[in-house]
Amino acid sequence: MKKRFALLLILSMILSLAACGGDKPAADANNGGDASSAAGEVFYLNFKPEQDEAWEALAKAYTEETGVPVTVVTAASGTYEQTLMSEIAKSNPPTLFQVNGPVGLANWKDYCLDLTGSGILSQLTSDSFALKDGDATLGIAYVVESYGIIVNKTLLAKAGYSVEDIASFADLKKVAEDITARKDELGFAAFSSAGMDGSSDWRFKTHLANLPIYFEYQDKGIGTTDAIEGTYLDNYKAIFDLYINNSTCDPKELASKTGDDSLNEFRNGEAVFYQNGSWAYGDLVGEGKPFTDDDLAMIPIYIGAGDEAQQGLCTGTENYWCVNNSAKEENIQATLDFMNWCVTSEKGTQAMATEMNFVIPFQNAVESPNLFVKQDQDMTAAGKTPVSWNFPTMPSENWKNELGSALTAYAAGTGTWDTVASAFVDGWASEYAALNG
Amino acid sequence: MTKRHQLKDRITTVVLALLSVAWVYPVFMILFNSLKKESAISTGTAFELPTAESFAGFANYADAIQSKGFLSAFWYTLVITVTSLVLILICCSMCAWFITRVNAWYSKALYFLFVFSMVVPFQMLMFTLSSTADRIGSSATVGNLAGKLGISVSKAAADISLLPLNTPYGICIVYLGFGAGLAVFMFCGFMKSIPLEVEEAAMIDGCGPIRTFFLVVLPILKPTLISVGILETMWLWNDYLLPYLVLDRTKGYMTISILIQYFRGSYGRVEMGPMMASIMLNIIPIIIVYLLCQKHIIKGVAAGAVKG
Amino acid sequence: MEKAIRKYWPVFVLPTLAAFLIGFVWPFLQGLYLSFCKFVTINNATFNGLKNYIFALTEADFLHSFGFTVLFTVVSSACINVAALAIALALTREIKGTNLFRSVFFMPNLIGGIVLGYIWNILLNCVLTLLGKPLMNLYAPYGFIGLLILMCWQQIGYMMIIYIAGLQSIPGDYLEAARIDGATERQIFWKVKLPNLMPSITICAFLTLTNGFKLFDQNLALTGGEPAHQTEMLALNIYQTFYGRSGPQWKGYGQAKAVLFCILVIAISMIQLRATRSKEVQQ
Repeated sequence: MKKRFALLLILSMILSLAACGGDKPAADANNGGDASSAAGEVFYLNFKPEQDEAWEALAKAYTEETGVPVTVVTAASGTYEQTLMSEIAKSNPPTLFQVNGPVGLANWKDYCLDLTGSGILSQLTSDSFALKDGDATLGIAYVVESYGIIVNKTLLAKAGYSVEDIASFADLKKVAEDITARKDELGFAAFSSAGMDGSSDWRFKTHLANLPIYFEYQDKGIGTTDAIEGTYLDNYKAIFDLYINNSTCDPKELASKTGDDSLNEFRNGEAVFYQNGSWAYGDLVGEGKPFTDDDLAMIPIYIGAGDEAQQGLCTGTENYWCVNNSAKEENIQATLDFMNWCVTSEKGTQAMATEMNFVIPFQNAVESPNLFVKQDQDMTAAGKTPVSWNFPTMPSENWKNELGSALTAYAAGTGTWDTVASAFVDGWASEYAALNG
Repeated sequence: MTKRHQLKDRITTVVLALLSVAWVYPVFMILFNSLKKESAISTGTAFELPTAESFAGFANYADAIQSKGFLSAFWYTLVITVTSLVLILICCSMCAWFITRVNAWYSKALYFLFVFSMVVPFQMLMFTLSSTADRIGSSATVGNLAGKLGISVSKAAADISLLPLNTPYGICIVYLGFGAGLAVFMFCGFMKSIPLEVEEAAMIDGCGPIRTFFLVVLPILKPTLISVGILETMWLWNDYLLPYLVLDRTKGYMTISILIQYFRGSYGRVEMGPMMASIMLNIIPIIIVYLLCQKHIIKGVAAGAVKG
Repeated sequence: MEKAIRKYWPVFVLPTLAAFLIGFVWPFLQGLYLSFCKFVTINNATFNGLKNYIFALTEADFLHSFGFTVLFTVVSSACINVAALAIALALTREIKGTNLFRSVFFMPNLIGGIVLGYIWNILLNCVLTLLGKPLMNLYAPYGFIGLLILMCWQQIGYMMIIYIAGLQSIPGDYLEAARIDGATERQIFWKVKLPNLMPSITICAFLTLTNGFKLFDQNLALTGGEPAHQTEMLALNIYQTFYGRSGPQWKGYGQAKAVLFCILVIAISMIQLRATRSKEVQQ
């Protein structure tokens, strides 16, 4: 009995020692010594938690069809970079991951496979959806999104207006201020609260800030810059003032609101306008949600710049697929095949359109049931020019955060607009210098 | 007892009672919020009890359990806690017995090393530990071992890891290594006070060291085992960063602490209802266990702390 | 007997030792080495000299998080210990419901840091909203206070248990003798109870200090270091440097910071050890 026990223990220890010994030649095991995975597999590190289940279902369907195993791992919100960082160092790294644009690409380009000549690149509807570094195509946009001001048409009608009445910043201002003046009588406010915490401040420091940047780029005919002038900062101030002064709560209280509050106010019919994007569709319309397609519309964010009659929604992407060039060769091939399948096959395109609510910039795309997406398409068809997404060219996360803090302080009355302007203009230059200098 | 004394006692009781209410309130708040409909949960209304209109029943719980794989996370957390706990208690008590009973330079060196490891913060090791676990876990497979020995095995068998350190079933070895410091230290502290005579008598009666340890020493150690067990359980069940970095995410391994983060969406949306429901589902088992053996837990903590 | 045990070392020591080598010794040494390297994975580390340390010691965020951690640790240790001792004193007066109170106060210790962080995030942000004040992750002083409240809530119970054990181990004769001599309650506390409590106080002080220094989960879940890294403590700062930044230089910086952090924690422990030792000699 005693001996047997001792034997057992010793055996288990020998096993563990053997494994310790196995630690060293880990590298050769990775380089194809393992015959078992010659067929290749896909490991996709997904960025969007909302589409987690849909991706897993799609991966399963692909495996059933082709026999190629696809693993989908979703990073918890706000931890994508951390997760990618820790996963890419492992012995079985993600083969497919994403970056958010040129700034994100700069950090990860050492890991990105050049996709020039790949099947998926030829499927893109426009070259502008390819993310390039010199001659190499390192990323491919896989989803296009739009944002603007979401309008509760029912409430707007109650206030005596319709969507057609709003075609410029001046109109928007007039309607919003009129609603505010009759706030008590109507029982609702113009804008849902502009929550300034991390769950919502990107709507202002990133998405809203895109507009002044866009118009400045347009004027100068550039696509990126190392020093922004802030020529449209006054317009930025005007729209932000409009948001905070005609909102469900006092501007001072905005710092105590979150994205959830803002959404709930809009859902509960406490506000007519809500700045957000096509991704919010699932939160507003559907089973157990308060709205139908007839209740809602999305209008462009007018800031009183450019040709407002021709302004469309803000449409663009900050989601680019990249293929990990350090993965095993067979896995890279498997990944390219999988990407191609997703955007060309019926199952793939169908799932991306209906299950994930994505508009994909590929030739075989299926029409999305998303109302806001349809509106964007209608506007473009009517000759309006979509506002492109320029925030991937913002110099850093830090720049956005500084701008966000300045906006919060300005809303609360503890800071001035000068601080915001300085965070916008001076911050841009200094961050740019710090990162690229 | 004087009247003044009585009055003072009453005041103390009232103050303590108020404090206790404040102490329980946060958990209670999560409980009633988890029963509300999502649209009724917002930053400013967390203190409002659910009304007939906003009451959602157990919908959030159903959602939490179904949508994000709560049950598997619960199972993995349980597996990790139980296997690691058993391993730590048995291996570390044996090791501590050896260290206290063998008077040699290496046992002193070992003791010093263990105590040292107790102090080192996890951040020092987080990267290297997780990559070590990952490499051992994915390279020490049957296939590789068989390859070295020149035997061929089937593909299915070849993928089985001998030391799956990056799975909930093998991570206990990592925990044994990283958690050994505290356990060995505490066991040593108690063992020094156990009289040698009993053990010597057992040995003279013909028991070998192994039987002596399991039949004589271990029963004497029972209170210490409970203390160490409780301290380690509190750590294991709630640990976040170690499993987050070590567990193989491609296989969907998650603990409850990790899962809770997944209720946030990419555009800042938080599914508050299901999130609070899963917080409750995490707390409820803890509270049940606590109610069942709170005497042991409190005693264990007191004893552990005095020695530590 | 010793010889017999010694022969069985593979049974008694080897399992723990093997795991210890995998789970501590090897990663520790590797971590020490990597702190002098530039690396993304372990295989591609290149020696970098002291660059990482120079960067770590000059980075404003790291220094700020150091200051924040020290401040937080000192304030929270003081609050927790005073409150815990006060409650322990009240609970050793043999009033009704002592057991219930004790159980309630201890309960938060069993809940994990991440969960605690989320609970208090919801609760405190609600309070701030109702008061019309900025949320914790927008205004660093509230983040600090929030973290303080959270840690008090969690740790007071634990320290209280230790103080109760300490108070109960004071021989009744001492108190009896003091009372007969006509000492007031206050005098008894300062002259009899407190000196006899010194071992418990050292333990609690040490526990709260190290807990404060190593704090991570609660910090991550409550404020996540927001706004703009202002409520980031050392452990979180290291984690963010490691995994939050992309670029080949950051891991080396993170590892160097971790080594500095480690040295700091060890130094505190040494001081604690010395303090306990000198107390033991006196007694």
